[in-house]
Amino acid sequence: MHLPQRAFSLYQITMTEVKYNRINVLGLGNVLYGDEGFGVEAVKSFQASADYPDIVQCIDGGTQGIYLLDYLESCDALIVFDALIPLEYETGVYVYRNDELPGFIHRKMSSHQMGFSELIGIARLQGRMPLEIALIGVPPRNLDLGIGLSSENAALLPEAVMKAKTLVDEWLKAFQF
Amino acid sequence: MAKKIVVDPIPRIEGHLRIEAKLNDSNVIEDAFSSGTMWRGIELILRGRDPRDAWAFAERICGVCTTVHALASVRCVEDALGITIPTNARIIRNLMNATQQTQDHLVHFYHLHALDWVDVVSALKADPQLASAIAQSISNWPKSSVGYFKDLQKKLIGFVDSGQLGIFTNGYWGHPAYKLPPEVNLIAVAHYLEALDFQKEIVKIQTIFGGKNPHPNYLVGGMACAIDPNSDTAINIERLAMIKKIIDETKTFIEQVYIPDLIAIAGYYKGWLYGGGLGNYLTYGDFPETSLSDFKTLLWPRGAILNKDLSTVIDVDPREASQITEEVSHSWYTYSKGDNKGLHPWQGETKPSYTGPKPPFEHLDTDKKYSWLKTPRWKNHPMEVGPLARVLVAYAKGDPMIKETVGMVLSKLQVGPEALFSTLGRTAARGIECLQTAGFMGRFYDQLIANIKTGDYRTFNSERWEPSTWPAECKGFGYTEAPRGALGHWIHIEKKLIKEYQIVVPSTWNASPRDSNGNAGAYEAALKGTPMHNPEQPLEIIRTVHSFDPCLACASHVFDMNGNEITTVKIV
Repeated sequence: MHLPQRAFSLYQITMTEVKYNRINVLGLGNVLYGDEGFGVEAVKSFQASADYPDIVQCIDGGTQGIYLLDYLESCDALIVFDALIPLEYETGVYVYRNDELPGFIHRKMSSHQMGFSELIGIARLQGRMPLEIALIGVPPRNLDLGIGLSSENAALLPEAVMKAKTLVDEWLKAFQF
Repeated sequence: MAKKIVVDPIPRIEGHLRIEAKLNDSNVIEDAFSSGTMWRGIELILRGRDPRDAWAFAERICGVCTTVHALASVRCVEDALGITIPTNARIIRNLMNATQQTQDHLVHFYHLHALDWVDVVSALKADPQLASAIAQSISNWPKSSVGYFKDLQKKLIGFVDSGQLGIFTNGYWGHPAYKLPPEVNLIAVAHYLEALDFQKEIVKIQTIFGGKNPHPNYLVGGMACAIDPNSDTAINIERLAMIKKIIDETKTFIEQVYIPDLIAIAGYYKGWLYGGGLGNYLTYGDFPETSLSDFKTLLWPRGAILNKDLSTVIDVDPREASQITEEVSHSWYTYSKGDNKGLHPWQGETKPSYTGPKPPFEHLDTDKKYSWLKTPRWKNHPMEVGPLARVLVAYAKGDPMIKETVGMVLSKLQVGPEALFSTLGRTAARGIECLQTAGFMGRFYDQLIANIKTGDYRTFNSERWEPSTWPAECKGFGYTEAPRGALGHWIHIEKKLIKEYQIVVPSTWNASPRDSNGNAGAYEAALKGTPMHNPEQPLEIIRTVHSFDPCLACASHVFDMNGNEITTVKIV
């Protein structure tokens, strides 16, 4: 099976000029559908895990597509926690950075179908991508109606939060806030 | 040989809205079936919870309409417990709701729907000089110079050349149903991008009043925000001034960008008046100027219209057991007293029972149960809800403001009111409503300032906050006009907890399957009779379904790394 695992520390931050004085940490997902809510749970854990300066802003983005554009376009660096598909991915924490993130605008039936990939497409077209962006996600194991993560996904929360913290710490050091 | 087309938006996880259409030999849609292919069971999650918390769960139902579900939820609890909210809270809720509506309509028009009428690829061929001349002839909007359009076109071409038009993948570019000249396409693409930027501003009103966004804080008994003109942490003079500025800019954007674009685009499509459908329209009304029970003060009035008859608006009472009912004859649920019997939401049941084929499947057996949506009916009639229903009910009731705006749009397009009964009419009604509601925002702001000036800073009524003050058992109904149409929450509270909760969302009305009398739902009826150029590129179907602004794909959200095609089209 081909795995989409990416090396975590391949990247070196080279740009240090910030524009917004802001790092956004965004959790996406629907907490009513099991592991769909992973991103929201992860941002909550992240927020509870450390005392960051005010420039690090944590946002529970829910499933708001287009309305989250501002959080993408008005920061210098961004962490996105989200559930990932395809579902065939092996259980684990996946990290994708910068150009690894796909951006596309689909024809769709409803504006509610907007995924974050679409916002990335728009931000790229507008030339407003943050200097650094990282998607930290896990493939869901249970998407049935009900509040609470599956034990497989819940067990990955600390690792997902730790990976986010490593990145945010790195950014805080590298950027001239 | 008759063909069947299936348009299924999300084939991967659970799917959402699926349309199956039967075409005759000349590729005209003979019949259509609309199916919600995802189960939403929020009602079950709410059972047994504290009714004061219901809004926080309800606002998670939907990816976009958080504020409207929170609003309907606090309203139904307040109705059940007999709570009157302070004037400031009523006005702030109106203002937040109006903000949601204008922002949502703007995003719908440019982001979801425009590309059903606008060919992005054709914009690459436009003459920027001509585009500038056209833009200046239809509006005073300042961003209309030759240089502006030239730069934008360059940016687009650069994007395409670098292989990144991928962001606009899966468009039916070059489809013969696109009628705009390249220059109008270019103007529309420019405003698509401007609207995306602008909507970020509007939403700040939600953040100021709701404390945060995207999930603003509501509160049973009022609003959680404090008003104090001189405090740093409350809604103060500075924040009010910011709200005023956003309201003014919103109105300008709608007047100078949205409405002129709508009229310019519609002008090329007024020969395409398909998609009218049912001709039955229902509104609960919204924007109370006194209390919610005083229907006469609702700025968007309540009522029903049957068979396109604008001479009569029938009174509606959503509390009345015989008026609003949901049956499940074609839905994947069972009712204890028979699936064909319509139940009022206060008697509602939510027992899922999937009997459809195992996914992935070729097609649904539409003679049997074929949707996860229940089948709401008003006095047994299938009804359309949404902007067109609101505009028509207000128009038929003789509302002077709406008559003027409708008249302006119709006369600019040189069409009569009968043109409103169409896909294009639905799209025009959304713009008309957006303009009207943006006007309401200014009105609510003035009311809020006037009330604060009297020294009234109250935003919360705590009299019945404590469960000890509640009756042993009570029922409530909360309503709002969400961007997509009439939204109702019905609650039954017993022993201080939620015993039953039923929600009838606008898209359940519009996307409902057949009822036991064989009556089609609004999407199904609207698609009938539409001719298609090419069944493999069902632009006409998508255009009509989009005109309702469907809200079915809302509850799920995952990051798709592959960029798989979201809408699949199959001819079977």
